[in-house]
Amino acid sequence: MGLTRRLFMITGATVGGGLLLGVGGLGAHLLTHNRLGVQRDGHDAADSTHINLWMRITADNKIIVVNPHTDMGQGSATGLMQIVADELDADWSQMQVEQAPADPAYSNGKVFEGFVREMMTPPDWASTLLENGFYRMGDLMKAQMTGGSSAVRFTGWDAMRNAAAATRHMLVSAAAKQLGVSEDSLTTEAGMVVHAETGKSLSYGELAAAAANIDSPDDIKLKSPEDYRFVGQPIERVDVPAKVIANADYGIDADVPGMQYAAVVTSGVFGAQVKSIDNIDEVKGSRGVSDVLIVPDGVAVVADNPWRAEKAVRTAKFTRESHENDNMSTESLITKQRDALAGDLVSGMNVGTPQDIKASLSAEYLVPYLAHASLEPMNATVWQEDNKLHIVAGVQNPLMAKARAAKEAGVDLDDVVFHARQMGGGFGRRVAFSMSGDEPLSWLVQAVRIAVDTGKPVKTIWSRETDTRSDVYRPMVMAQFEGALADNGKPALWRSRSYGKEMNVKAVAPPYGIDNVDVSFADQGHPVPVGFWRSVEHSQHGFFVESFIDELAVAAGVDPLEYRLSLVDDNTPAARVLAKVAEMSAWRSGADEQGRAMGVAMVHSFGSTVAQVVEASITPAGPRAHRVWCAVDCGVAVNPQAIEAQVQGSVNFALSAALYGKCDIANGGVVQSNFHDYRVVGMADAPRIQVEMVASDSAVGGVGEIGVPPLAPAFCNALSAIDGERRRMLPLV
Amino acid sequence: MIKLTVNDVEHSLDIEPDMPLLWALREETALRGTKFGCGLGLCGACTVHIDGAPVRSCSYPVSAAVGKKINTIESIGTADAPHAVQQAWIEHQVPQCGYCQSGMQMAAVALLNSNPQPTDEDIEATMTNLCRCGTYDRVRAAIKSAAKELV
Repeated sequence: MGLTRRLFMITGATVGGGLLLGVGGLGAHLLTHNRLGVQRDGHDAADSTHINLWMRITADNKIIVVNPHTDMGQGSATGLMQIVADELDADWSQMQVEQAPADPAYSNGKVFEGFVREMMTPPDWASTLLENGFYRMGDLMKAQMTGGSSAVRFTGWDAMRNAAAATRHMLVSAAAKQLGVSEDSLTTEAGMVVHAETGKSLSYGELAAAAANIDSPDDIKLKSPEDYRFVGQPIERVDVPAKVIANADYGIDADVPGMQYAAVVTSGVFGAQVKSIDNIDEVKGSRGVSDVLIVPDGVAVVADNPWRAEKAVRTAKFTRESHENDNMSTESLITKQRDALAGDLVSGMNVGTPQDIKASLSAEYLVPYLAHASLEPMNATVWQEDNKLHIVAGVQNPLMAKARAAKEAGVDLDDVVFHARQMGGGFGRRVAFSMSGDEPLSWLVQAVRIAVDTGKPVKTIWSRETDTRSDVYRPMVMAQFEGALADNGKPALWRSRSYGKEMNVKAVAPPYGIDNVDVSFADQGHPVPVGFWRSVEHSQHGFFVESFIDELAVAAGVDPLEYRLSLVDDNTPAARVLAKVAEMSAWRSGADEQGRAMGVAMVHSFGSTVAQVVEASITPAGPRAHRVWCAVDCGVAVNPQAIEAQVQGSVNFALSAALYGKCDIANGGVVQSNFHDYRVVGMADAPRIQVEMVASDSAVGGVGEIGVPPLAPAFCNALSAIDGERRRMLPLV
Repeated sequence: MIKLTVNDVEHSLDIEPDMPLLWALREETALRGTKFGCGLGLCGACTVHIDGAPVRSCSYPVSAAVGKKINTIESIGTADAPHAVQQAWIEHQVPQCGYCQSGMQMAAVALLNSNPQPTDEDIEATMTNLCRCGTYDRVRAAIKSAAKELV
C-alpha cells in the first residue's frame, strides 16, 4: 500500500466524524517517509516508543481507541481503554473502542519486541535497532497478532500509554495557543482542558483538529500510579452486554445476500491430499447441493443450508494419496520421541558441574496432543464484490489471514477486505503460525478456494468432528528427568531432556536456585501439525518441572511449599505468590480425614508469576479437584475482575486437559471427534476458584494464559499426597 | 411445508422434517443468537425452549417442534429490557468469548422457571452446558443472583 494511500485509508476511516490524532502530529513525516521512518525519527528525538495510530477524538468529544487486537474472550479492549483514559485524563463515558483494520499500519512490532525481550536482554546499543527491526518484521510478516498475552502489556502499556500521554500534551498545547495562556496554567480533567484562572475550558473534541498539527513532545510525562482512576479498577468489560443479549457478531453469524454453505471433511491422514471423489454424482444428487469439490486437505460440498451440506459431505467417498503418515500412531510417535531423547541432544542450559553429580532420582513424563476445541468451530464467509474479495472470520491475526487469502485467491493484498469478527474462543487455534510448518488457517484457505472456484458467496463451517481432527495441536511431549539431593535436602542436580525445540529455555528450566542444571532437547519435528495452545510450551513444561520439583521435595521429606520457598529469593514474585497462596488456601501437608489433600505449583509465564494450590480427592469416579487458589503477580493489575475471569477460565481449561484431554493418533489421523470422546470440564466437575493479585513492583505481565501451567502439576501433586502415586502421564481419566 | 412458531411468530418453511431445529432457526429464520457447537447435543450452545423446556436444537428435528412454542434467546430480553438472568450475567461479568452464553442463559432461565431457588447441587445437575472459557464460577453466582431478583 502506498504511503499517501495509507494515510488516506487511516483518515478515511474517520469519516463520520473524528480525527486520527497523532497522525497529524507525525503527518509531516508520514507524507514523506514510511512508518518505520517516522519511528526512527521518533527514536532520534527522544522517545523510542511513540506511535499515535491508536486513538481518534471526535468533534463531540468521544475518544475512540483503535484496537489492533481481536477478541476471543480475553476482554483486553477494556484494559486498553482504561490505560488510554487514564493517560488522557478522559471521562469513562467518552471512551469507545473500534476494531483496527487489517492493515500493515497496525502490524505489531511491539509484541514481537516484547516476546524477544522476555527471553533475552539486548545491549543498549542494540535496543533502538531492535525496535525498528521488530516493526519492520511485523510489517514483513503481516503480523497483526492477538496472542502471547500481549495486548495489555505490550500494545497497551508500551505503545498506547505513551501515545495517550503525548496526545494529552498536544491537546494542552493547542488549548494554550487558542486561549493565549501558558501551558503550565492549564490542567486536564474528564476530557476537557481547563484554565482555572479564567474558568475557561475547551473539550478535547474542540481541540483535536488543532492538536493534530502540533508536534508530539519529545519528553512524555506519564502519570503516577497513585493518580490512576481507571487502571487498577474492576471496570465492567465493554464487550459483555452484547454477548449477553446475543447481539455479538461472531464469524459464524455472517449473512451475505445469496449466501451458500459449505461443509468439509478432511482426508483423514495428516498431509495427505484427496485425489478423487468417487461418488460425486450421488453426492450432488442430495437435496440443495450445488457443488462438490476437492479442496486443500479434503473434500467440500456446497449447498443451500449448512445441514444439507454437512449431510451430503458425509456421504462422499474419496480416494486419497498414499502418504508417509498412513501408519502413524501414538505408539510410533512415542517411540520416535524416546529414541530421539536417547540420541544426540542440543544443550539449552548448563550451569555448574552437573556431569560430576550422580543422579539418585529419575522419571519420565509424557503429555499428549491436545485440540483447542474452541466452542465456535472454524468457519469463514467469503464473497466477491466490486472486484474485491471479502472475508468474514474470527482470527487472531487478521492481517496475516488477509495475506493468506490473497495468496490463495491469487490477488493483491489490497484487493482483499477482511472483516475481523468476535471469536467464539481462540486459545491459540486461530493464529496464523504453527510450529510444524503446517497451515493453521487451512479452514480459511479452503473457504477462499470454495468461494473462488464456485464464484458464489459461501460460508464454510467445519463440523465439530472436522474441527477436532484437523486442528494444529498442542504437541505431545516426552520429558526425562534426573535429580539428586544435597545433604541438606536441597536439589544438587537437575537434569532434563525433552522433545521439541524450545526457543524460550526459561520455560523449561527450573525456576529455583539449583547449583547444577543441565537442560537439553531433542527435536526431530512433528509429523502431526502442532502449534500454539493456551500457554504454549508452559502447558507441558510447567507440568514437568513443577511435578519433578515435588518429587524432589518428597524425596527430601520436606513440605513441598516450604521446599519451593527455600529455593527462591525473598522479595521476588515467586516468593510473594507462594506465600500468598499458602495463606489463601490455609495450606496443609498430607491428606485430611475426608481424604482430601493439597498440591502446589508455581510457574513464571508471559511476564507474570502464578502459584496455585489445588485441593483434590480421589473419588470412585476418579480424581476430583474441589477448590483452587491462585495467587497472581502480574505487575499492575489493570482490570482485576477481568484478570480474575481469565485465571478462573484458565484453571478450567487446564483442568479439562489434565483430566480428559488427549488426541490419540491412529492410521495417520486423530481418533477423537467430538465432546463425548474429547471431554471438557463442565459445571459438575469445575472446582471453586479463588484468585488474588499480590501487590507488586513487577512490570505489567500477561494474564490470559498464566493460569493454565500450574494447574496440572498442582492437581497431580495433591493426588500424590493422597495415595503416594506419582502421575507422570496426562490425562488422568 | 413445516410450520414452526418461533418467538410467537409463525414460519412456514420448505424444509425436511429431519432438519435439526438449529439450522432452521439460524439459516431459515435468521435467528442467529442460537449457536452451533457440536451437532450432537453435547455442548448446549444451541439450547432453546420448546414449550418452556430446554432442548438442544442441534439434535432436535423440526418435525418434533411442529405445533409447539419455540423460544430462542432473542425472545428472552433486549438491551433495553434485559431478563433478570441477563442482568445478573452482566452484573457478574459472566461471558468471556460469549459463544456458549445464549445457550447457557436459556438453560438458566429454564432452570429458574422450574426451580426458582436452586441449590448448588441443582445447578450442577441441570447446567450441563459446556463453556470452553470456563466461566462456571460466575455462571453459578449469576444464577443465584437472578434467583433472588426473581423472588
